[in-house]
Amino acid sequence: MAGPTNEQVLDALAQIHDPDLGRDVVSLGMIKELAVDPAGRVSFTFELTTPACPVRDRFKSQAQDAVGALPGVTAVDVRMTANVRPAFLRPKPSEILPGVKQTIAVASGKGGVGKSTVAVNLAAALRKAGAEVGLLDADILGPSIPTMTNSRVIPEQVNGRLKPIEAHGLKIMSFGQVYPGEQPTVYRGPMVGKAIEALMIQVDWGRLDYLVIDLPPGTGDASLTLAQAVPITGVAIVCTPQDVATDIAIKALQMFRKLNVTPLGLIENMSWYVCPSCGHRHEIFSHGGAEAAATRLGVPFLGAIPLEEGIREDADAGTPVVISRPESAGAKAFTEIASQVAARTSIQSFRQLPVINVH
Amino acid sequence: MQITWEGGHMSSYSGEQLRWACPCAECRGEAGAPGRLSRVRSLPEEELRIQDVTLVGQYALQIRFDSGHATGLYTFSYLRALERADRSG
Repeated sequence: MAGPTNEQVLDALAQIHDPDLGRDVVSLGMIKELAVDPAGRVSFTFELTTPACPVRDRFKSQAQDAVGALPGVTAVDVRMTANVRPAFLRPKPSEILPGVKQTIAVASGKGGVGKSTVAVNLAAALRKAGAEVGLLDADILGPSIPTMTNSRVIPEQVNGRLKPIEAHGLKIMSFGQVYPGEQPTVYRGPMVGKAIEALMIQVDWGRLDYLVIDLPPGTGDASLTLAQAVPITGVAIVCTPQDVATDIAIKALQMFRKLNVTPLGLIENMSWYVCPSCGHRHEIFSHGGAEAAATRLGVPFLGAIPLEEGIREDADAGTPVVISRPESAGAKAFTEIASQVAARTSIQSFRQLPVINVH
Repeated sequence: MQITWEGGHMSSYSGEQLRWACPCAECRGEAGAPGRLSRVRSLPEEELRIQDVTLVGQYALQIRFDSGHATGLYTFSYLRALERADRSG
């Protein structure tokens, strides 16, 4: 019995629906290098839009089952790969951050809710999944990324541009590296904006799948500069569960909405604490506040992260918890959230930016 | 200036119309103080000619006029509202 035709294989694969992109995987162009040999062996490449795809394993088994059920098929060889697509369909590469495919901002409105910890672990989890990732510390006045990633190194200058510091497989750039030690950066608002622009323009970021941008608290200069300078793919908002944090997180989210930056969703940090002595689960900052706020605002809830001593210890020691203790509840939460963020980011690849023609 | 919106709708604006609608603080005024556009009755020709248009993030257009005036950021929602106001007025 002869093997199936390519069309039959593609028809079978077209039954697989991407839950985030809302279309079948064939019309999305995810099936590549399809070959069917006379003995009925089918092989193809399944190219995901992100290596951190939350449905990677499900897609693989669905593809194997769908093709394997065709008459005449004796073997199915699925190669899973990923190719992050640039955010937005645009006529020409952007002038600022030209090699960066996706820019993901991490914001909170309120300070002290763990934005930088989330940004660092989000970047590290995307890197672990196989993506090329940069981490830009846009907190000019209170940079914490150098400590959290143990990258307190003064950047080298090559051809008038700064080279990001490499740590944990990430390319990292922070004002804390430019002005190390205990020297403060004392800037008024407009200078903060200039400094953030410099971190984008004067740094040789190279080719990146994702640039994670850790924003300072507030809805002022830093966030505004960023939203005006680059088309941000989306923004993830971090908050703790208590009202005083979710109230401000909502303001941050609404600010980005006004600037047409897509909210990727809300993340609840310090969501619960398991006491190491008694094993009892405490909800120190309450619980579920971010999810409730997300539902009310009609944005995705990306996940909850526990309050763990290990997360804090590893941040102080300079290694993201997703790398140092991948089996911990905190690391698993970060990894799951990174997948959700990557999936929501992929959706933006299919949006079109305005085209301007000046005659 | 012509805009084709995502839904297919097309809008058209003259340089003069956009210049008089400039939303910048100097033109509009701020903190209760009236702006330049409420003080002048006419603008010279070079103030009304569009030289260049650039995209700001993904929410607005920056319009530069021949005079060099370019401080106004016209958000997409403002441009849409401007067209409606013009049609009803």
